Amino acid sequence: MAIAFTPKTTAGIGKVILSARNLHKIFKTPEGNDLLVLDNINLELAEGEIVALLGRSGSGKSTLLRCLIGLVSPSSGEVRYRNRLVTGPMPGMAMVFQSFALFPWLTVLENVELGLETQGIPEGERRRRALAAIDLIGLDGFESAYPKELSGGMRQRVGFARALVTNPDVLLMDEPFSALDVLTAENLRAELLDLWEARRIPTKAILIVTHNIEEAVLMADRVLILSSNPGRIISSQQIDLPRPRDRNDPAFLATVETIYRAMTAPAAAFTGATAVAIDHDSLGMRLPVVEVARVIGLIERIDAGPDRGRSDLPALAADMQLEVDDLFPITDAAELLGFAQVREGDIILLPEGVKLARSDIQERKMIVAEHLMNRVPLVAHIRRVLANRPDHRAPRERFLVELEDFMGAEEAERTLDTVIDWGRYAELFEYDVREERLRLPENGG
Amino acid sequence: MRATFPDTGVLRPRLKLTPWDVVVVPLVIVVILLLTIAFQGAAQPFDAATPDLTVSLDPLNLPYYGLRTVFRMFLAVLLSLLFTFTVATLAAKSRRAEVVIIPALDFLQSLPILGFLTVTTAIFLGVFRGSLLGLEAASIFAIFTSQVWNMAFSFYHSLITVPRELREAAAVLRLSPWQKFWKLEVPFAMPSLIWNTMMSVSGGWFFVVASEVIAVVGRDNDQYLPGVGSYIALAIEQADIAAMVYAGLTLLVIILIYDQLIFRPIVAWSEKFKFEQSEAQEVAQSWMLRLLQRSGFAGSLSAIGAVIRRRIPTFPVSEAPGSRVEAQSESRAIDRVLDRVWYGFVIAVTLWAVWFLATYMFGPGLGFENGRVLAANPNVNTDLSPEIARQFATFGVTANPDQTVWLSDVCAATAGGTQVSAELAALLRHERVNVPDDLVAACAVPMAPAGKVAWSEVWECLWLGLLTTMRVVLWIGISTLVWTPIGVWIGLRPRVAQFVQPLAQFAAAFPANLLFPVAVVLIATYALPQDLFQAPLMILGAQWYILFNVIAGTVSIPNDLKEAAQVLGLRGWAWWRKLIIPAIFPAFVTGGITASGGSWNASIVSEIVSWGSTTLTLSGLGAYIAYWSTGEFNPHVGLGMLIMGLLVLAFNRLFWRRLYLLAETRFRLD
Repeated sequence: MAIAFTPKTTAGIGKVILSARNLHKIFKTPEGNDLLVLDNINLELAEGEIVALLGRSGSGKSTLLRCLIGLVSPSSGEVRYRNRLVTGPMPGMAMVFQSFALFPWLTVLENVELGLETQGIPEGERRRRALAAIDLIGLDGFESAYPKELSGGMRQRVGFARALVTNPDVLLMDEPFSALDVLTAENLRAELLDLWEARRIPTKAILIVTHNIEEAVLMADRVLILSSNPGRIISSQQIDLPRPRDRNDPAFLATVETIYRAMTAPAAAFTGATAVAIDHDSLGMRLPVVEVARVIGLIERIDAGPDRGRSDLPALAADMQLEVDDLFPITDAAELLGFAQVREGDIILLPEGVKLARSDIQERKMIVAEHLMNRVPLVAHIRRVLANRPDHRAPRERFLVELEDFMGAEEAERTLDTVIDWGRYAELFEYDVREERLRLPENGG
Repeated sequence: MRATFPDTGVLRPRLKLTPWDVVVVPLVIVVILLLTIAFQGAAQPFDAATPDLTVSLDPLNLPYYGLRTVFRMFLAVLLSLLFTFTVATLAAKSRRAEVVIIPALDFLQSLPILGFLTVTTAIFLGVFRGSLLGLEAASIFAIFTSQVWNMAFSFYHSLITVPRELREAAAVLRLSPWQKFWKLEVPFAMPSLIWNTMMSVSGGWFFVVASEVIAVVGRDNDQYLPGVGSYIALAIEQADIAAMVYAGLTLLVIILIYDQLIFRPIVAWSEKFKFEQSEAQEVAQSWMLRLLQRSGFAGSLSAIGAVIRRRIPTFPVSEAPGSRVEAQSESRAIDRVLDRVWYGFVIAVTLWAVWFLATYMFGPGLGFENGRVLAANPNVNTDLSPEIARQFATFGVTANPDQTVWLSDVCAATAGGTQVSAELAALLRHERVNVPDDLVAACAVPMAPAGKVAWSEVWECLWLGLLTTMRVVLWIGISTLVWTPIGVWIGLRPRVAQFVQPLAQFAAAFPANLLFPVAVVLIATYALPQDLFQAPLMILGAQWYILFNVIAGTVSIPNDLKEAAQVLGLRGWAWWRKLIIPAIFPAFVTGGITASGGSWNASIVSEIVSWGSTTLTLSGLGAYIAYWSTGEFNPHVGLGMLIMGLLVLAFNRLFWRRLYLLAETRFRLD
């Protein structure tokens, strides 16, 4: 399937600046296995549009961005910028980083000027343009400050100034607001949109990577949704709402709802969740990395919510102040354990979930234990191995090696840690960090 | 208005003087003058006709000697920085260079530093023929080898750990490799490099003192390069207590000046390079830095520097894409071929080097002849006395330039020990000549070629190495037991720590060899057991690293952790076991590694100590190397160095590295 997600021809949107064709990215795990991170990505970024790349953590959206800007080479396929093949960072493209990536030993002014130094712009011109960028982005008075003297919001302003000072054609942003607190992020986002709307920056197109659905809907003309493991573009949503956009506008809410649905559609869901049905016995089932306490907290919340046992996901996320990255693993886990079901942007408690929500702590542990044994092959496997050993102990390494047959080393570590956390909660087994060994509880569990 | 140069003042900085320049301008002039004087002294002619170099014990000479010593130290640091910036960078940038450089550095840093002096003297004398610079270079090189390794390692480590996000930012901004090096990599490595340079210099004073007296082949007497180190050596030889005190005071002043005028300003300045997200509570201060920053003169100097830097043409503007950040995962076929060629070449060179070293040490038969192990061929002129060497020469036994007389040569001159004249027999019975009683029998046994070592000497050397190892372990252990409680006591009292910490660092810098004679006098006068009183000399200078690291570790224990321990009622041994030991462990390991490296090196000077005519020798590998450092590199000193290097390497790998890993993984407090 090779759908090219090209922009619809609407007014103000012009020719394609940046495009990716049949892009694949494969990482080698330390064991020498191939890990497909990006699968057949086709996209185009045209003049005059802001495109948001939306996906959960682990969907490869940051890798895709790095392929587009030329930091990372695709395993196959190609990226073109104004018809030139991208083989490394190109002049005309700028990037804003999640962690700001400022040089701590340079002042604000020096950081901003750095972007111009490579362009051979003479000293005076450089200074003038840097000061203009600093002024534009609201940093006047901080020219001689070092980044560590600044708050997070001000640091990201420096990040923007450094990117914008080169008058980039395309601005690529990697979760630029996610390291900031809610208010600062809101403020900076609005200012950037103002600059864009008023054409005060020469930038022709912006691509923003985010996991925040509201942010995507607030900013973008088009939202591309990336699935996880491997990353594939599964949906493209055009957003034609007038700007500035109002979060309480019913049309806005409807768009958010649509995107939630798209992201919770079976194909998009965490592969682990779908794997339950397809491939129940596989040890290599990927587990959502989430603590048991959060799953139970979520279930309690839904049970106690106004619609008793059913909840709208966007509303639930807003209510719990969670973003996609936080919320989806929890709902995935709830689904995986058979406590709830996600349907069209809603989450519905199953009878077992209701029972869990209304039990006391000991009963809960027993319910979770039962569900873990029935629904997570790895848990059952660990129990079996421990029970078969005369001393009921086994080193962590033993299971890790087994898991590495199915996934990369990091993924295996994460999966095993998650399972250990769940198993400990349910008192199915114990774990000694010092010896890195699992064992059955003393009383036999 | 010309758009290109908006501020002409930037281009032609006018000299704007401030009141602070009353101090700064004369200071700069004095420094330049002193450097000139020192260089003139070092560049004097020195050849076969020059009389032996010596120093005078008149304390009035000490300022000049101090200047010469500081000059050497200064050049050694410059050299170390040059080496660090080139070799460590190469190792970090090229995978192929890395596989050679890193193990080589690891081995070189394990070798006993003072052994290098014998290796290099002859080379440098040849390079700077007819000039004193040859001897100076040998001394500077010895100091260099004591400083460079940890600096190079720290720089290499920094370069390979530059945060990914910064590398990406540099790539997106399309910085050229040159710009990236100076704008990103060097600043990132700066704090750790400066810290390691400080540690290096602090350790370097010890070696300055030990490397200014140099034995030169072809001269009967040692050469005393003008410097505090040779002043001390002469004072020890002549048992002059007053001179020792003057020398100690001079070193005290030198180290103080070095610290205040150079290192404190640099450390305070380097605060800005620290890669941290928030401002530190305590920032290093330096009055000197403030002085320089307020001085108009210094400001103008740096402005001139900036103008020059701007005038250097930058790289042409390029529309070409920048470089990617990731390593190419799929290497090309040509790369794999080149890799094989390169590794093959490296292995071949290594094998050749091992073979070369082995034949150099053992001779062509590698210590065997006709399947039999050769016996040792000892040097009969045990004290390397030029006098005795001359007497041997009258009997047709030619002595070597370094005064050694080999048993095989004696045998050859006496037809296997059968034709010994009465005069020669008298010489052979001399108390400073060591010849087997039964010369004929000894000559009958096939022995190693003259000057080469035999396998029996290898085993002896290993045994000596074991003795020295045991001393190092014992005294590191004892000083740990002594200084840990004291360091913790101090560290828990911030006021005391503030006062003691600089003192401990200073004590670490102060060359402990100055105090060795005190031990000699005490041991000789009261007939004290050597093993108990001479052996601890090797830890004398190194123990402070344990102390100040323990203090630093204790100071950094978070308050809430201490309070939690108090609330939980942790007391006595439980308090140590649950709180203090785990919390200070990483800092202790850092100190322990430095201290053990220091005491290995110190063993060469502490196993043979003297005062006047009294010389005390403790049998060990250090004494063995010191004995064989005759002014010319020889198979025996090579053997000693090799064995010490291997022992230190093994000790670090088997002991310290494990503790270090443990500290990194289990006991980190962040």
